[in-house]
Amino acid sequence: MSATPSSTGSPESSPFTLERGLAAFRAEIDGPVAAFFSSCVHCGVCAQSCPFYLETGDPKYTPILKLEPLRLIWAAEFTLLGRLKGFLGLNKQVTDEMLSEWEELIYDSCSMCGRCSLVCPVGNDIQAMVRKTREGMVASGHAPEGLIGASVRAVQTGSPMGLQWKTLQVQINHIETSTGLTVPVDQAGVDYLVMLSSMEVINFPEYLEAITRIFDHAGVSWTLSTQCFEATNAGIQIGNKDVAALLVQRVVDAAVALGVKNVISPECGHAYTAIRWEGPNLIGRPYPFHAFHIIEVLDQLRAAGRIKTEGMETDRLSLHDPCNLARKSGVIQQQRNLMDLVAENFIELKEHGRFQWCCGAGGGVSSNERAEPLKLAAFKMKKAQIEEVEPERMVTMCATCRTQLEEGLEHFNMDIPVVGLTELIAEHLVEREPAEQAEGAT
Amino acid sequence: MRVFEKNPLEKGLAERLREHGVSRRGFLKFCAATASMMALPPAMIPAIAAALERARRPSVIWLSFQECTGCTESLTRSHAPTVEDLILDLISLDYHHTLQAAAGEAAEAAREQAMRDNHGNYLLIVDGSLPGPDANPGYSTIAGVSNYAMLMEAVEGAAAVIAVGTCAAFGGLPAAAPNPTGAVSVMDLVKDRPVVNVSGCPPVPMVITGVLAHFLTFGRLPELDEYHRPLAFFGQSIHDRCYRRPFYDKGLFAETFDDAGARAGWCLYRLGCKGPSTYNACATMRWNSGTSWPIEAGHPCLGCAEPRFWDAGGFYVPLSVPTGPAQDYLLAAGALGAVVGGVVATSARGRVKAEAAVRQPVTVEELEQKL
Repeated sequence: MSATPSSTGSPESSPFTLERGLAAFRAEIDGPVAAFFSSCVHCGVCAQSCPFYLETGDPKYTPILKLEPLRLIWAAEFTLLGRLKGFLGLNKQVTDEMLSEWEELIYDSCSMCGRCSLVCPVGNDIQAMVRKTREGMVASGHAPEGLIGASVRAVQTGSPMGLQWKTLQVQINHIETSTGLTVPVDQAGVDYLVMLSSMEVINFPEYLEAITRIFDHAGVSWTLSTQCFEATNAGIQIGNKDVAALLVQRVVDAAVALGVKNVISPECGHAYTAIRWEGPNLIGRPYPFHAFHIIEVLDQLRAAGRIKTEGMETDRLSLHDPCNLARKSGVIQQQRNLMDLVAENFIELKEHGRFQWCCGAGGGVSSNERAEPLKLAAFKMKKAQIEEVEPERMVTMCATCRTQLEEGLEHFNMDIPVVGLTELIAEHLVEREPAEQAEGAT
Repeated sequence: MRVFEKNPLEKGLAERLREHGVSRRGFLKFCAATASMMALPPAMIPAIAAALERARRPSVIWLSFQECTGCTESLTRSHAPTVEDLILDLISLDYHHTLQAAAGEAAEAAREQAMRDNHGNYLLIVDGSLPGPDANPGYSTIAGVSNYAMLMEAVEGAAAVIAVGTCAAFGGLPAAAPNPTGAVSVMDLVKDRPVVNVSGCPPVPMVITGVLAHFLTFGRLPELDEYHRPLAFFGQSIHDRCYRRPFYDKGLFAETFDDAGARAGWCLYRLGCKGPSTYNACATMRWNSGTSWPIEAGHPCLGCAEPRFWDAGGFYVPLSVPTGPAQDYLLAAGALGAVVGGVVATSARGRVKAEAAVRQPVTVEELEQKL
């Protein structure tokens, strides 16, 4: 061991200590991290890509600076020069005080939207390193209370908002009454297992109704699972792989129990990247099924000619691409294909698709009450973009983005409603013969 | 194959090819292959076809010095009908030791006549290195003439010189330490004519023909790298184009020639592969009409197309490990740096593993205590 400081111990008797955090930091330093830190040229382009820096003007929000604790450990313990300096006692130490100071930078002022990674001229994946840094922050007891609460609830009740199946059952009853359709539950062997996010159950129940109607229209066999209905992953947001793996495992178990071929991630950005990209690595093996975002499935159905729509929205509509979907996963054209089905007056935001600006609420910022002022500050970038093209309504496909857009627009007194893309498609489905749907109607 | 033809025919190439049963379609396929070999855009194919149709067959004189004939074998031992076969129809190979039917004085007379008739215009191809001007000329002579004298006489009227194979390009095996014959490369001797090095032991046959086709099409030599090698073929390292590269990136290495990693096709870097420092077209063109290539056959790259081939270190010693006695302080310092860097990297990797092993998983019960 080189000269790492001995922990002074946290004031309260917490199971999380500085030593435990430093061990978690070290365990995260792999080849890519070492390569990224050695290749940073200090150009500062990442600052110019970060809404938290641009809207506050405070240089401490420069993305690469957010990684300082991780960088110090790398430099001191994984480089020759750092080790030599360590013998002479010249290394700057990572202390509890430093981590307390960095907690805001790592959690409150970063939505892990990945715009910094996209623009970095030497290809450093900064947002991935923020994700890694969070591992050390959790283990040293420096995670924000809002995210700890969400993680505990997610593991103990199955939902970060503490929702239980009975709440969802109430929504299902409403939907079955209003549509006359049946919402399939625990059907084994169907094609698609649909996952939800709590936000959609509580704030946007129209989403589940829209899926029910579209899948009935397109003749898709699908189901919900009482074993696990929630795909959001608080473990990814707080930055802990143990919690994240546990939550992914629940989805996998539910899908395996029902023997489905595909799992659909809800309209929730990080739930999608968690289940689609991080999941197999977290649980250490490939899935026996495919994972899709609902937008991808809808676009496949559209391409197969299984979605028939009528009528067009005449309002001037614009689209917000969720970063997890567009920038991190390349789902960009699919939502535009679907918009073309139903919108005749569609205008792109100036920077969209891969280069869109984050709404400011992702990466756990929205579950972290303390970050509220920063979240609204970051939203100003989105607001400016929206003002530029003056849409009458905004469309998006992530419940967190949607909530943030609604709250932000209201905060800045802009009267622009926000709709989900799935609902928008459902509204334009060609009506089927009444005889076919009479069954089950009251 | 026509060898020992004194006069280039005045007919256009396309006509000649048709006489030899090569269809128009076959000819265009050749042009397309040539364009893709030289990394030219497809729009160039008609231009190549037009240029080649008009081309008069340039006279080519092929001199073989201290060599093993592997380069000639490489060029001719390919499956017919191929680019290699066609290219020999493109040129008038007026003198070639191995291929010509004539022998003795008649052969040398043919060479002298070709040099006279095409003075200033012929291509001179050389394979093999040769004893330098200060070495004993007796180590290698042809018809009683030293290699050095023959080269210098032939260079006089050449439009350009193509050094085929690593011996001609960089000295190769004959120049390996202790270099008893005082062998030098063509580039060491020819200073007033353009020299193209088509290195490799042997060179990829399509690279030899590609350079010839480029010369015929455009009337000039292709763009070259700092070692005078055509960039179109030597622009990328074996490592960058290797199909085993993903294993290198993941850190999966075969440790012996018959371990599980070797059977699974993992990277051969630790078995001494010189792919990262070798520039050639093997990984993309492969050998024997695209059948395979050394790394696909399970053997590390030897770096045969690079300068100092044979003297650049042991075949089975990994690149980052210093090889042989250090030649000067700089090399010694570099080697020391590599060793220290390697030790630091190894210990850092061990460190991550150790820390990952002691990392305590975070449980929800613990998290709950924080609330």
